Amino acid sequence: MHSAKSDTGLKRPHNEDRFVADPPLGLYVVCDGMGGGNAGEIASALAIEAIRTHLAEADQRADLPLIGSCDATVSPRANRLASAIRVANDAIHRESWSRPDYVGMGTTVVAALLHDEVLAIAHVGDSRLYLIRNGAIQSLTTDHSWVTEQMLKGFITEEEAERSPRRNIVTRALGVENSVDVELTEVPVKSGDMLLLCSDGLTRGVHPNDILHILGGPDSLPAMSDRLIAMANEAGGDDNTTVVIVALRDDLQAGLWERLKKLFAA
Amino acid sequence: MPDTLPQSAKLLVKLHGKGSQQIELTLETLTIGRKTDNVLVIEDPAVSGHHARIVKIQAVFFLEDLKSTNGTSLNGRPITRHQLRDADVITIGQHRLVFQENVAPSTAAPAPFVDLDRTTVLRGTDRTPDGPTLTAKVLVIAGKTDRVEYPLTKQVNVIGSQDGAVIRLTGWFAPKSAAIIARRGQSYSISPSREAKYLLVNGTDVVGQQELKDGDQIEVAGVKLTFCILSGTK
Repeated sequence: MHSAKSDTGLKRPHNEDRFVADPPLGLYVVCDGMGGGNAGEIASALAIEAIRTHLAEADQRADLPLIGSCDATVSPRANRLASAIRVANDAIHRESWSRPDYVGMGTTVVAALLHDEVLAIAHVGDSRLYLIRNGAIQSLTTDHSWVTEQMLKGFITEEEAERSPRRNIVTRALGVENSVDVELTEVPVKSGDMLLLCSDGLTRGVHPNDILHILGGPDSLPAMSDRLIAMANEAGGDDNTTVVIVALRDDLQAGLWERLKKLFAA
Repeated sequence: MPDTLPQSAKLLVKLHGKGSQQIELTLETLTIGRKTDNVLVIEDPAVSGHHARIVKIQAVFFLEDLKSTNGTSLNGRPITRHQLRDADVITIGQHRLVFQENVAPSTAAPAPFVDLDRTTVLRGTDRTPDGPTLTAKVLVIAGKTDRVEYPLTKQVNVIGSQDGAVIRLTGWFAPKSAAIIARRGQSYSISPSREAKYLLVNGTDVVGQQELKDGDQIEVAGVKLTFCILSGTK
């Protein structure tokens, strides 16, 4: 079961965020586009379309070529997700040269591919994925941002990073160059876990503990996503905010149910 | 905020046989050609009417050839469209235009900055190399598996009968997935799968997730395994 919501916020003229929530594919994606005019929206829309299409095709055709190098530390499914993101990079990069106002456009991406009890996560940029388990919240992605890199090197503290005016600088993005370095992670998940994929519109203004407070509460999933968006806007609403919440219990059962139905239909 | 000063750029124009002049690139588009409606007019039959242009997109300048008859070169190579960097030399016929960019004065901050509220990409930063990764393996002590030992090279290592399981159970009633050993950073932990009837580490039931230590004894789905850390390897 999932709930997804995207909001323009209070200060931006457009919403450059896009998302996918496709339970049959097990695919959940958030993209935060960037570029002048409407180029950011174009980039994020191209990304989600390319990622979804590649994964849907791979489901139909096992021999669909894998784009990019294969990472032996993760499953073939995780490598397929990275492949989809590289296809998206290529689509955006090519489109960015088609019109002068598209030049330099790009997008962040955080994508989760859920299969049974294994979750593959791929990300580029500063959109995040949180795992909420047993009353605790943990980020499973490390931002590809200048401040995070400085923090990891020990040059600045976490507090300085949060306050830095340079928080908006990402060190990797989709579509900006002709190839992209996709970070791949794979983790086991189980019934009762919750996932939150979000753009930085949420995480700039809302602390993980406050997110946990909402996601650990008794609300329905749509009420939770509404509440998270409202909190981002209460914190200033400087940016577009997108949240995709996935509650794993029902998804796993739905997956089983789908497989049973397929079995009987065959 | 000094580091947000817009970058300024100039074009040093060296027209063949006419000396040189400097143009501030203040416009979004600077058109170059023989016709008089261009911003930079070059009276030379070898130059097309609308030959090329320099467009500014956010803080970045691009040179575009406008399908000119004799072409436009950047640093000696013909281009149709290319980003301009400081000291780039544009050649149109026998004329040279040198692109000069003043990077914002702050050195601590990476350039270019466009708008502090907007997400900006900083390219070509060094990537922190991954540290040496700890590797581990499991030895099969008892039970039906397709091998006697398995290196745990993946982030998620499934113990089960399914395709793609790292530790492949071959018993008749073996579950597709019995347990998962996951590596996160420098540590390994084990958790039971949905189908697991039991999971014991050193004889104690594991309910959620448990970190594994060198020498731990794992019992699940009819197999007994020993977990070993391979130290000193990368």
